[in-house]
Amino acid sequence: MPFSFSVIVEAWPTFQAGLITTAIFCCAASVLGLLLAVPIALAHFSRSWAARVPAAVLVEIVRDTPFLVQVFVIYFVLPVVGVPMSSTAAGILALTIHGAVYFSESMRGAILSVPKGQVDAARASGMSYPLTMRRIVFPQMMGYVLPPISNQLVGLIKDSAVLSIISVPELSMAFQNVLGTTFAAPEAFVAVAVLYWLLTSAVTLMMSRLERLTPTHRSAQEMTSLLAKADR
Amino acid sequence: MTFEWKYVDHALPFLLEGTLITVAVSLLAVALGLLVGILVVLGRQSRFRALRAFIAGYISIVRGTPLFIQILIVYYALPGLGLDLPRFESGVIALSLNSGAYISEMIRGGLMAIPKGQLDAARAVGMPNRLIWRRITLPQVLVLILPPLTMEFTGLLKSSALLSVIGIVELTRRAQEVIGETLRSPEVWLATAALYFIMCFTLGTVTRRLEKAAAVYRL
Repeated sequence: MPFSFSVIVEAWPTFQAGLITTAIFCCAASVLGLLLAVPIALAHFSRSWAARVPAAVLVEIVRDTPFLVQVFVIYFVLPVVGVPMSSTAAGILALTIHGAVYFSESMRGAILSVPKGQVDAARASGMSYPLTMRRIVFPQMMGYVLPPISNQLVGLIKDSAVLSIISVPELSMAFQNVLGTTFAAPEAFVAVAVLYWLLTSAVTLMMSRLERLTPTHRSAQEMTSLLAKADR
Repeated sequence: MTFEWKYVDHALPFLLEGTLITVAVSLLAVALGLLVGILVVLGRQSRFRALRAFIAGYISIVRGTPLFIQILIVYYALPGLGLDLPRFESGVIALSLNSGAYISEMIRGGLMAIPKGQLDAARAVGMPNRLIWRRITLPQVLVLILPPLTMEFTGLLKSSALLSVIGIVELTRRAQEVIGETLRSPEVWLATAALYFIMCFTLGTVTRRLEKAAAVYRL
């Protein structure tokens, strides 16, 4: 059976719809996940166990169970205990929680990479905790946090393929539909692989642009020249 | 609907059966993945450009597409190419091909951690390349990659849940079957999640121990 591009062209509307759904789900889940990740990461450094323990428990549970099982728990168990769930809501919720936990772990690592002495110094000179975070910790952790988050965003896009199992009409669902109607396996696979590759490359490219804007990324050479100037 | 322990009790023997398959599939996949990883690392140093290009393509396909799609492809597309495999085998192959790509990166990292002076010394005393690989490089690399390899195994325990889609009766599929019969999804899903949790959490602790041990070895 020769490879025919016409199969892909004919199935394009299906793929396009799937691509858009995947993009929307991933955008929503990454924005919500990043927002949710900040309090989870900060809770790890809290002095009160009432913040530390729930954060640690959530992180361990999400990291030590399969994403598919998390999706099933959210989609099938929550409605039984009284929380109604559509496949869209369940899909975005599952991706968001999963993403938030992994994002929070990279944020935690990045916060740890800022020397503790700096925080102590800022606090000692009378800066409040939020101000210390905003002025001292956050700007410096950016360079450490963006590369792992870029990887995790790519992971999020790949994980979202699982959502077709709870009948979210995303890209891998489109792939299965095309496979089911045309039986053209190589063509469908090439199309879906290229589309996922485009999505993940777009994210990687965007994140590396963002990395170049962060202060820490510039620091290596620029800071030395700045310090040299300051010495004179 | 209240949570009733008797349904957990009822489901547990079935779920444990599924757990056995999950562990077996993951063990097979990590072992074959290690083999694939070693072959990939060796192939990358090959003189043949076609082989290197093929390996680069394989790695970027594995890393750039969802595992879920890879599993479907191995299961549905390979029969079209004349390779009709039973589900279990095609599931194991999909997982091994996937983790082989990641394991090859671990091996590369491990290789770089070995001081170059050792290789020079081995060459200086007249050891042939093959012997250096077998006596000097490989034993050290295997120790160095043991922690990331256990982590990969933990990852496989989790991602093997996707094999339920092609009908391999591992833990997740078993759970679905039990629910189909008892219609008690909260008890069964929470028990299933707990089983995965126990396995992965324990392995996570083991990984941290191994990391400490390997760090000593590195010095």
